[in-house]
Amino acid sequence: MAISKVVMPKLSEAMESGKIIKWLKREGDRVQGGDILAEVETDKADVEMEAFGAGVLRKILVPAGEKAPVGTLIAVIAEPADDISALLASAPTAVAAEAGAAGSASARNDTRSAPPAAPIPAAAPAAAPPRPTVVSPPAPTTPAVSVAVPAATGRVKASPLAKKIAAQSGVDLRLLQGSGPGGRIIRRDVEAASQRGPGPMPAVGVPAVEGPEYEDRPLTQIRAAIARQMPLSKAPVPHFYVTSEVAMDRAWALREELHALEGQPKISVNDLVVRACALTLLRHPGVNASFQGASIRVYHRAHIGIAVALEDGLITPVLRDCQAKSLAQIAVEARDLAERARTRKLRVSEISGATFSISNLGMFDVAEFSAIINPPEGAILAVGSVRRVPVVEDAGLGVGRRMMLTLSCDHRVMDGAMGARFLQDLKRLLEEPLRLLV
Amino acid sequence: MARHAFDVAVVGTGPGGYVAAIRCAQLGLSVATVEDDRPGGVCLNWGCIPTKALLRNAEVLDLIGRAAEFGIRVSGVEASYAEAVQRSRRVADRMAKGVEFLFRKNKITLFPGRGVLRARGTVEVTGASGVETLEAKAVILATGSEPKSLPGVAIDEKTVVSSNGAVRNETKPASLVIIGAGAVGVEFADVYAAYGVRVTVLEALPRIVPIEDEDCSKELARAFGRRGIELKTGVKVASVKAGGRGAIVETDAGKLEAEQVLMAVGRGAKVTGLSLEALGAELERGFVKVSPRMETGAKGVYAIGDMAGPPLLAHKAMAEGVVAAEAIAGRDPRPVDYAGVPSCTYCRPQVASIGATEAAARAKGREVAVGKFPFTASGKAVALGETEGFVKVVADKATGEILGVHIVGPEATEIIHEFAVGRTLEATLEEMIHTIHAHPTLSEAALEATLGALGQAIHL
Repeated sequence: MAISKVVMPKLSEAMESGKIIKWLKREGDRVQGGDILAEVETDKADVEMEAFGAGVLRKILVPAGEKAPVGTLIAVIAEPADDISALLASAPTAVAAEAGAAGSASARNDTRSAPPAAPIPAAAPAAAPPRPTVVSPPAPTTPAVSVAVPAATGRVKASPLAKKIAAQSGVDLRLLQGSGPGGRIIRRDVEAASQRGPGPMPAVGVPAVEGPEYEDRPLTQIRAAIARQMPLSKAPVPHFYVTSEVAMDRAWALREELHALEGQPKISVNDLVVRACALTLLRHPGVNASFQGASIRVYHRAHIGIAVALEDGLITPVLRDCQAKSLAQIAVEARDLAERARTRKLRVSEISGATFSISNLGMFDVAEFSAIINPPEGAILAVGSVRRVPVVEDAGLGVGRRMMLTLSCDHRVMDGAMGARFLQDLKRLLEEPLRLLV
Repeated sequence: MARHAFDVAVVGTGPGGYVAAIRCAQLGLSVATVEDDRPGGVCLNWGCIPTKALLRNAEVLDLIGRAAEFGIRVSGVEASYAEAVQRSRRVADRMAKGVEFLFRKNKITLFPGRGVLRARGTVEVTGASGVETLEAKAVILATGSEPKSLPGVAIDEKTVVSSNGAVRNETKPASLVIIGAGAVGVEFADVYAAYGVRVTVLEALPRIVPIEDEDCSKELARAFGRRGIELKTGVKVASVKAGGRGAIVETDAGKLEAEQVLMAVGRGAKVTGLSLEALGAELERGFVKVSPRMETGAKGVYAIGDMAGPPLLAHKAMAEGVVAAEAIAGRDPRPVDYAGVPSCTYCRPQVASIGATEAAARAKGREVAVGKFPFTASGKAVALGETEGFVKVVADKATGEILGVHIVGPEATEIIHEFAVGRTLEATLEEMIHTIHAHPTLSEAALEATLGALGQAIHL
């Protein structure tokens, strides 16, 4: 029968490896095509991985908590009678070795025999966050024993000689970056570190304060991705910004009225902005555009990315074809995306392909800000909070609701006037909000 | 004048050049090679390989001479030196054909002729059929080296010969003075002595194989002494003149007469006639200066092997060839680890070493631990009847780092590699002793010497 290899999927262009957060199926479980096998943390998001073949999940090669390069065999689905020993034997030994710690009991009594009677519980606690490395001020005498103990964050890859020199010179291997093959710490790394000395010394005469001096928190995948991507977004894309103030009194009133309607979903200010942007983008395709080197790609559909703040970063799920969606549809789908973004349950298709993005910091009482464009998109709209401010009316001074919008534009795609005209139309739509309903 | 365009042109097809060419081809580059002799260079044609064939003859002949030790009576032995040389030529031919085959297999074009660098990316080849011009994005120079002589002494390849002449001479002299007791000198001393030539080896330095550990020099000198090879160390040669039975060698310790003199005082890089310096490459002490990526001062012009500096060893050239090829292909090659180049001499007993000698390690101020295990205590060596020599391990006392290993004895040149791997992986004495060595093997001596450095030798 068919044996299906489950490999670490390439879930985004830049993805090189992924981490298994949790296996949702256990060895011995019968699976169908389309079943969710596991949750995978990529550089962009946590996504669910589906099974492509049907059969019994015979073998999990990469336990929860472990990383594997794209394309690595991470599990095998086959019928109980299928012989998968050859396939397992061909699996990279590095993976096998790493998996060994968690689940090698079953790795050996493999194949032919029936699946394990009592499936072993999921190997590791799901998605343990990387532990921060805490750096304490150096102790007067550095005990050398720590080197022999593997670091909490995983095995330290170091040559035997490097380990010995580290033990003798009091260098903590966990703090070193290896320059040997595959990042292995070798002699010269330890020697360089021991020459650098043990780090900042407490100033003489200052009473010692208890507790660590600082901590180095390892980058989470998402933070690492942002750190990698943002300079690539900001530096090569010549940004310019246009800001406009929108009178939100009528939009606010409309929203209140809609809220009062029974059986209607709650509509947020952001939903109004999304809908308004979708309609305005259709009229200004030049803003709904992407720089392609030799050409400019103009989109006829508005796939709008909505930035969602997470505890350790942000993610921009994409609401597709907003131009064809009613306010209610937008409200329901945007809420669903945001919730799933927070619980890290987005699918790959939901985090890519935006033609335009919106970032709203209104809930933090931010008056206005400017956002960084998310290439290859050509623009991003930064939305401030709706504030009650004094306004000049015909009869004198009154109180109005105002909101600041700042459009960040890629100058390679558009010019100031184009951005300004877009903003002008957007403002008009939001100020005459009934247009959003038709 | 025909012009041809390639990604890479390799001038010289010795072990550096042909390896570089093949690695370039593997990395998807189009490659031309230029050679004015047979492919394979000195190594395959006139050096490493044919001398190993001659040394094997010497070994077989000696073994037959020792047959009685094994209870085998042999009579009527006839050893033809001419046939030994002929066999060695067949071996060399076969290996050179192997290189030609590898070129075809890797779609590498061979241009027979002499290559000259005309500009950074231009090599002019003058061959039997005229002049051809190669345009290449990168050029790898691998023109090698040639035997040196002493000032005022001309090599005529008759009375005064170099290794080039000695390796193809089908006649052997009755007596021979070898000037220089490095690898070339002692290997030819071994061959000629086995074939009954009265051999005297002169060395200016105080001991033979002077770059090796002092213990190795002593052990080899003892073994050579037993075989009747006369060794004169600390002797400076003043002149070599024709006369007497062939040549008269005048030294500061008296006159020597021999039918033939073999100059084995070292090799010099072939760097002239390439117009290297005009293109921006720098020379230093007769060798071309290169970066860790093997690039010379002229951008896009690489130099590898003997011409790029010592040690003048084929395996070092091959390692440099790979680095140059990968650098050209845009890879990020690991530079050659020159401290990890094994040195091998194939006389009997063989001499092999890696890393620092004991004296050098001590001179660096390291506190060293030394383990030494003689082959007389090795079961396999005794069974073979090859008990000359030892394995000596020099380690850092504090860390167990393997600083150097020095072996004299049977298959020393094979045994050395476990230490080469160990050093590359930065293994310490501990890891080496926890590696199980099969019994009975010669390699057990390596394990025992390592144990000895830790004061734990079992079989001694």
